Amino acid sequence: MNLDLIQLKALVIKEYREAFRDKRALMVALMMAILAPVGIMVMSKIMIEKLVDEPPVYVKFIGAEHAPKLIKHFAEKNLLDFADVPKDEKSTWEQRNIAIEIPEDYAADMAEGKPIKLHLQADFTDKAVQPPVRRINNAVRAFSLSIGYKRLLLRGVDIRLLNPVKLVEQDTAKPDATFMLISMMLGIYLMLAAFMSGLSVAIDSSAGERERNVLEMLLCQPVSTLKIVLAKLISASTVAVIGVLLILILTSVSVGFVDLTKIGATFSLDISTAAVLLLLLLPICFFASACQLFVAFQTKSFKEAQSTVGMLIGIPAFIPFVVSMMDDRPQWLNWLPIAGQSMIIENIFKGVDVDWLAVFATSAVTIAITVALVLALAKKLKSEKVVMALS
Amino acid sequence: MNITWKNILALSLLSLTATSWANDNKLTLENCHLGEIRSQVKCGKLEVPENYQKPDGDKIAVNFAVLPAIDDSEYKAPLMFLAGGPGQAAVELATGLNRVFREVRKTRDIILVDQRGTGESSPLSCEFEAVDNVYSALPDALNPQEVKDCVAQFKGDVTQYNSENAIRDFDAIRAALGHEKLNIYGGSYGTRAGLVFMRMFPESLESVVLDSVGPIEVPIGMFGQSGARSFNLLIDNCKNSESCNKAFPNLAAEFQAVKARLAKQPASIDILHPRLGTPTKLVIDDTKFTGNLRFQLYGMEGRSMVPLVIHQAFLGNYQPLVGLMARTEGEQLVYTGLLFNIVCNEDMPRLSLADKAADANNNFDGKDSQLAWDMVCPFFPEYRPSEDFYQSVTADIPTLILSGNLDPVTPPSNGEYSAKSLPNSHHIIVENASHTVAMSTCASDIIQEFLTSKTPKKLDESCLKDIPQETFMTSVNGIQ
Repeated sequence: MNLDLIQLKALVIKEYREAFRDKRALMVALMMAILAPVGIMVMSKIMIEKLVDEPPVYVKFIGAEHAPKLIKHFAEKNLLDFADVPKDEKSTWEQRNIAIEIPEDYAADMAEGKPIKLHLQADFTDKAVQPPVRRINNAVRAFSLSIGYKRLLLRGVDIRLLNPVKLVEQDTAKPDATFMLISMMLGIYLMLAAFMSGLSVAIDSSAGERERNVLEMLLCQPVSTLKIVLAKLISASTVAVIGVLLILILTSVSVGFVDLTKIGATFSLDISTAAVLLLLLLPICFFASACQLFVAFQTKSFKEAQSTVGMLIGIPAFIPFVVSMMDDRPQWLNWLPIAGQSMIIENIFKGVDVDWLAVFATSAVTIAITVALVLALAKKLKSEKVVMALS
Repeated sequence: MNITWKNILALSLLSLTATSWANDNKLTLENCHLGEIRSQVKCGKLEVPENYQKPDGDKIAVNFAVLPAIDDSEYKAPLMFLAGGPGQAAVELATGLNRVFREVRKTRDIILVDQRGTGESSPLSCEFEAVDNVYSALPDALNPQEVKDCVAQFKGDVTQYNSENAIRDFDAIRAALGHEKLNIYGGSYGTRAGLVFMRMFPESLESVVLDSVGPIEVPIGMFGQSGARSFNLLIDNCKNSESCNKAFPNLAAEFQAVKARLAKQPASIDILHPRLGTPTKLVIDDTKFTGNLRFQLYGMEGRSMVPLVIHQAFLGNYQPLVGLMARTEGEQLVYTGLLFNIVCNEDMPRLSLADKAADANNNFDGKDSQLAWDMVCPFFPEYRPSEDFYQSVTADIPTLILSGNLDPVTPPSNGEYSAKSLPNSHHIIVENASHTVAMSTCASDIIQEFLTSKTPKKLDESCLKDIPQETFMTSVNGIQ
């Protein structure tokens, strides 16, 4: 027993040395974990700006003098006269060329209560023109409604009649649910980190070692193949865990730079949430490394291992995405590795209490598959076919 | 090792008992939906003694709501909203307050409490026929029997529904929610409540905003002079506006003419009910006419229509006035029982006949604003607040005082009383705003700045200067 542990320890140390020796390769492997939080931050910032900000729009008004109050209303909505466009934006707005024509009879028709038509001209297929056009539409509608309301009011009509039915939305999400975009991205990135960070270590310690003839030497030693596989698994998944940890820490730092309150959201990753996430992702890290080792040993060369295993990492990114798109989720998805975890992660971000049974169930299934992979691999390594990349 | 575990276990038991003792099942708090707010908020009730002198006597449940801070990563003392009236229910105002105080809510909880006697805190309400039938009933149609019947149906000891007990409730809710300190925003009567809060529990307050002040020094209920001032400012502003002056060159004279005509002979006009669309009658006398105009003076939108309404009435067209009346028809704006209970007992007794005569000496609605009190107050059970109640409040708490220059009930001179007596305060008078400035102007941003800095004298007030002069509608078809 003791001897087993000493052997395993020696093997693990050997694997760690191999894995951590090339610092630069390691940094590249962890690059995704470092860049993901930055990506999340930038994406959220852009999204929030799109949702909240109303940058100035410059419109060519024809006949502005006929409707001073309408022009004032536009100005309040940051829809400004083209004459006031700052120099550096002039060419942009010249190109977008949005024009509103106010008819000459505007004032007279308004006083007589006749309907008035404004004409809005723009290239409606131009994507950059669409948000301004939408805002102009809203501004005109609001302006028109407010006058319409007053006209009826002054004729002795109860203006509440104009809204016979009103739909009040009641969001049942927990009040502390986070901004969907961040939680979705973070969920996907965490899965990716679990799969990607340990990737190079897994390939190198399997197909790589085989090509460098290190594997043969290892197998000649009086240790069981199971221990060799375990040592490789531990080393690769350690790097994966480091990647996950990095994402968790860096995200909670970087999101602090985004003013989520602008859209009524918040994001805080407290210790307990982070711990649950880590607990969920630990089996995934092992599972991922086991898969990668298994596939890498199946291949004939280092090159082939790289491309084949590279395809493997598409799966984790794919599954959470599909799951989040699904409206009706079949029960069995809860049990599936990756899918189960990603649904639980989604719930955690929604502020729903953790369903521990689901956590244990999906973790158990994941671990079981990992164990099966490890045992199968240990058995395979006894065959020369695998060791010599024959078959 | 064993000992540590036992200690931890003991400790957790202790804290468990400590919390349950503190709450003693008096506090309930759960997620709920409120008004038109999309996200979930928290609704709660706290059981308090009806009479704080008899803590074991009858209990009442005070209803409240918490609009939780959006970003609660850093604790900041919450903002409690003290409603106006007296008699407005704060929780019922949640939708609007959630919008007005959205900047504040980003980092602070907002606490709304239904003052005892309003909302769902043992409401005191009267259903008067004149209120049910706004178009055909005249204001003096209120008959004494109605008032008697209403007072008779109140449950509990109505004399306990006073300002001081309301403040005791507010502070009890603060304590029950586990806050050491609060910020408070009081609007209109809420400023009176705020001032009483400052006197009774100064140690519970971090900072105070008083918007449109009803100071202790000025009894609530005398609105003759302030209403006339607000109305005359409107007449002046119309005169100074080119378009308004052109459309209504004789506005002041036309107003007096309509008033005189209606005083001589109330008008009875066949109209279509604005909501039901069925034939009904509009009966209107001078008191009802000025009363409805007075109500428009509270906000800038209502004010913008007043010249047009007067002019059309002068021409014999009361439809614009009917439309304005329809805006709030059938809505209960205040819990009338509490309104009368507090004003009749805490403010009216302090007014001498000479005070009343002086207030009635105005060219807008004379003594009309006193009519309701004179008619109703004799029927309400009597209580008198403590002597301290009428002392000027001098608490040394950072206080921001806001007044709207055009306000018909709490003119800027009211705010001056509090500015003078409170050592750490600053009074901002907003030129082109009416009642409760923060509800409709960028003053809400200044409040947010004030809550952060707590320096009432060093705030950026520049945005208030950009509020445009009031403008008026000049045609029933709208604006050019």
